[in-house]
Amino acid sequence: MNVYLLSLLVFSPLLGIVMVAIMPKKEERTIKQFGFFGTLPPLILSLFLFSQYYSGVALSSFDTKINWIRFGNLAMYDPKLFTVNFELGLDGLSLIFILLTTIVSSLAAMASIYIKQEWKGYYLLFLILEIGMLGVFTAENLILFFIFFEMTLIPTFFLIGRWGFLEKEKASYSFLIYNGIGSAVLLVAILILFARTGTTNIEALSQMMTMGGVSLFAPISGSMKYGLCLAFIIAFAIKLPVFPFHSWMVRVHAEAPPSIVMIHAGVLLKIGAYGIIRFGMGIFPEQYKSLAFIVVLFGVLSLLYGAFLALLQTDFKLVLAYSSVSHMGIVMMGLGALNESGIQGAIFQVISHGLIAALLFFLVGVLYERTGTTMLTKLGGLTKSMPIFSGLLLAGGMASLGLPGMSGFISEFMVFLGLFKSQPLFAAIGALGLVLTAVYMLRAVLMITFGKSNSLVEKEKHDLKGLEFVPTVVLLGLIISVGVYPNLLGGPLQETIDAMMLALGGR
Amino acid sequence: MMENAWLIPIFPLVTFLVLLLSGRRWREQGAYIGILLTLASFILSLLVLIERFKEPTYKVTIDWLSIGGTQLTAGFEINQLNALMLVIVSLVSLLVQIYSKGYMYGEERFSIFYAYLGFFTFAMLGLVMAPNLLQLYFFWELVGVGSFLLIGFYFYKQEAKKAAKKAFIMTRIGDVGLLIGVILLFWETGSFEYGEIFQAVQAGEISVGRLTLIAVLIFIGAVGKSGQFPLHTWLPDAMEGPTPVSALIHAATMVAAGVYLVATMFPLFLASVTAMHVVAVTGGFTAIFAASIALVQKDVKRVLAYSTISQLGFMMLALGTAGYVAGVFHLMTHAFFKALLFLAAGSVIHAIHTQNIEKMGGLWKRLNWTGPLFLIGTLAISGFPLLSGFFSKDEILMSAWEHGDYLLFTLAVITSFLTAFYMFRLFFMIFAGESRSSVNQVKESPSIMLLPMFVLALLAVISGYIQTPWFGTFLGDWLVEGNEKLLGASHNEGPVWIMFMAVFVSLAGILLAYMMYAKKKIPRDWLFKENSKLYKVIDNKYFIDEIYFFTVGYAIKGFSLFLSYIEKFIVGGLISTVTSSIEGLGKIGSKLQTGQVQQYGMIAFLGLAVLLVIFALTGGYLR
Amino acid sequence: MTGVPLSAYLVLALVLFCIGLYGALVKRNVVIVLISIELMLNAANINLVAFSKFGVTPSITGQVFSLFTITIAAAEAAVGLAILMALYRNRKTVNVDEMDSMKH
Repeated sequence: MNVYLLSLLVFSPLLGIVMVAIMPKKEERTIKQFGFFGTLPPLILSLFLFSQYYSGVALSSFDTKINWIRFGNLAMYDPKLFTVNFELGLDGLSLIFILLTTIVSSLAAMASIYIKQEWKGYYLLFLILEIGMLGVFTAENLILFFIFFEMTLIPTFFLIGRWGFLEKEKASYSFLIYNGIGSAVLLVAILILFARTGTTNIEALSQMMTMGGVSLFAPISGSMKYGLCLAFIIAFAIKLPVFPFHSWMVRVHAEAPPSIVMIHAGVLLKIGAYGIIRFGMGIFPEQYKSLAFIVVLFGVLSLLYGAFLALLQTDFKLVLAYSSVSHMGIVMMGLGALNESGIQGAIFQVISHGLIAALLFFLVGVLYERTGTTMLTKLGGLTKSMPIFSGLLLAGGMASLGLPGMSGFISEFMVFLGLFKSQPLFAAIGALGLVLTAVYMLRAVLMITFGKSNSLVEKEKHDLKGLEFVPTVVLLGLIISVGVYPNLLGGPLQETIDAMMLALGGR
Repeated sequence: MMENAWLIPIFPLVTFLVLLLSGRRWREQGAYIGILLTLASFILSLLVLIERFKEPTYKVTIDWLSIGGTQLTAGFEINQLNALMLVIVSLVSLLVQIYSKGYMYGEERFSIFYAYLGFFTFAMLGLVMAPNLLQLYFFWELVGVGSFLLIGFYFYKQEAKKAAKKAFIMTRIGDVGLLIGVILLFWETGSFEYGEIFQAVQAGEISVGRLTLIAVLIFIGAVGKSGQFPLHTWLPDAMEGPTPVSALIHAATMVAAGVYLVATMFPLFLASVTAMHVVAVTGGFTAIFAASIALVQKDVKRVLAYSTISQLGFMMLALGTAGYVAGVFHLMTHAFFKALLFLAAGSVIHAIHTQNIEKMGGLWKRLNWTGPLFLIGTLAISGFPLLSGFFSKDEILMSAWEHGDYLLFTLAVITSFLTAFYMFRLFFMIFAGESRSSVNQVKESPSIMLLPMFVLALLAVISGYIQTPWFGTFLGDWLVEGNEKLLGASHNEGPVWIMFMAVFVSLAGILLAYMMYAKKKIPRDWLFKENSKLYKVIDNKYFIDEIYFFTVGYAIKGFSLFLSYIEKFIVGGLISTVTSSIEGLGKIGSKLQTGQVQQYGMIAFLGLAVLLVIFALTGGYLR
Repeated sequence: MTGVPLSAYLVLALVLFCIGLYGALVKRNVVIVLISIELMLNAANINLVAFSKFGVTPSITGQVFSLFTITIAAAEAAVGLAILMALYRNRKTVNVDEMDSMKH
């Protein structure tokens, strides 16, 4: 049972795909329902996995391995050489990411009620996307990771380009181009590794790289290792994204449908952080250590750059987009801090930003649905007509600016705690970002909710109702519970981080 | 009882949650929930305080967050200062909630108001119970949110929106300082727990330079919260909130949190002479600075706001001159008389619907209860003999004198003179002379509003007697009990003439105000005219807001604009160069496609030839 | 028979191939180009047959292979000429360089 659980989890959205596929095109209600139900099996399975973890089952017992592809005939030297297996595995880190994926996916599927056309294609792509995301976080080797990684790109491309706002095509092309470049760099790095070492298994690779050159053919030189580590960092920094690679993400946030942005900001961007942790840090710890300085530098740059630009935006979606740039900067800062608190903070920030961004973009969807605009200058005084919405928006904004009691505080605190130890100067500069975050977040939220209500929103607007409460309450509940009792997340991560710290050479 | 102390902040939290979830269903009935639950908190706090007299400090912690091998804990602690603060906070909150039942009557979002009050009370109680710096910071920011929500309660008013935003951001600046200080302190001592930090400090494990840096950073947090110069500008603006809120948050509790923070971290400050000096000078300067602004303000709440800033400066001055007990003592008495003054001011505003003191006057006879209550508060704050403010202010002056900093001592004396003057200016403008109000029907506030004021007036009169030069220094002895080494003396013995001088100064201030505003013997512009430059500078609060706006505000905006050009031209340009160069390459490539099959064949053949040549030269193996 | 060495066959094939290549790449008339292609094919055939006789391991395979090639060449010529006829009907020309509708 355990052996197949992960494959089952990864491919469980297929059930939904089949269900949606057999529906006639016009059945809006049924397709939407089926689409949502299609996200439930992975959710249930991932929750089951989580409960298994808490009841003490070792996560490694879920590992799956099936022989898949073999290149050449080197079995006489080593049967493992030049093989690519279908291998899925789980550790605390990926478990957390999988939970994030399934939860955000289900809620985004719920938020997709605002999709106005071609529901069938939408949900098919949506569910394929979910398979891709789940695969990315469970893949045990680089080739499989890459396949799943690409599998997330293509559905996203169509989802943005078909169902987005006005300039959706432009956004989806820049999404594809940037991510294509990132993928290309990634693929080159993966292939070099494969050609030189004969394996792409992450664990085997990291052992090989840390223990010294046991690779069979040409040993990888030191400078090659730096190059590969840098390639991984760049590839995932584009995905994250980090200044100056961020402009695609800003466009996507502004133009994609809100439900897709929930997934995009909530999960897809996080693949970048996951990749840096898994591959950059995991495979090349030595090299990563000496590159950490650059990671921190770009982290601080992104943090401040995003914050300053968010101050100027007049579109709420753009404010959130630049705030994502800023928050991803905090992730980079944590990853570059090279100590437990920094790395743990970065992972917390990833999860926390995923939840917060999902919440805020759900609210953006609601806002657009009710008022037909997200321009700050046209909105105002919504507290009067939509008090619950405004309260939730305020709560989301507060979470985003790192209010204690919500998950954002824990992560920012840990990142700064870590960074003040290793790079106090950068940390001090970055602390300016904390003030700026408050400034731009409050500016945006208050422009929407406070003040006089103007003509556009004067009409009686419906406040949140019915099913719309589910995503908001679930997300806010998670944000607050992580914020109040962070050990909830900290537990599963501990083992992974310990292993990583060992590789990085202690504190 | 102390093991159940964690319930104290839980009750108001329940208020918040219940009222928030119930929405507008209960309207005025929501007040009962708030009042009853806060009453429970107050009773419990009182019991805890009484128990704390007999028993030692109580502390409980649980694991909260593990970072590697380090376990960060959460919990609560009941020591002398905490227990005292718990009672003050829950009492003032209770009284304010009772008062609000009358004051906010008819407000559409009545139960939301109580929900916010509950949230604030929860955060404030959590703040004072925190056993470690991290948890303190946690609630420190939540308190700020409570204040933000309540200032912006009238969300449709543009000023309220601005004030709420300003309050949050200004305090956030301080908070970041505090956060950095806390983090640095953690790396120096390896802990957030007060006890362990103080041990490390006493053992001299931290270099003095570091210690000063940390102490100053922590003090920046206190500066932000307590409205000290230069982060004071949010506090007067915060008066946009409903008046009971001003009484609770911006007079008695939250703004005192900065003082509480410095008091809590007192051993840390004591270890650094420079840090102490910074605290004292900031406090002293703020005290006289704010008092001078209060002299000319025309809005009753703003006068009180500047007076609050000034009094908080007094407390900081006391702490900075090693007067731990003096600072905490004044914190307590100030909480009572300032809350009283705000509530009384609210009662006046409630009666005549204006905050401009130029439009008041002659209300003494028409507000039979509010007038005397206001007078008690005014006398107490002015340091009139035998009222609470007299004793605590005396203690501060003694402390400043004892410390040997005569400049600060002089400042403090001048400030007490100014305090007495502007407070009585306020009093006489409101209550003396002829009525200048357009409202004819002036009604005394309902008894539900008067009752809390009576309680506070009583406390404003008697609360000074727990620490007097004559009847013993009960408060001081108790506060420093067991920590004499850390906190210093329980009472400052100074020359007797200081007390007489303090009395003289405050009486002089009162007399001057009486002559100018009640008897009108001295014209109001005898010192400087209303259109003189100096007057204008003071009236505009020394243009601090404008200076900030034109320096920091513009700098940030300018930098943002600059970055947006970078975004547009450099980052955007980078992208368009990449795309256009790829497009150019494609164009060149497509030129090769001429449609001439024979050309293709030729190229293919040449390519083959080149390959063969390479093959022949290298022998078929590429190295 | 033994008088003619392998190299003679190969040189003949080479010459034929070069003539064919030159014609295929340079001549404008499609008919000539087709004929040139036939030349190149036959050059390859000569090589096949020559090696089947004088190669390192002489065997019949080469001759069989050349038979295949001849068959295919015939089929190719038929298809090629058919296309040529169709093209000529449409475009009224047999010049190769005018048939560039696949230009960029």
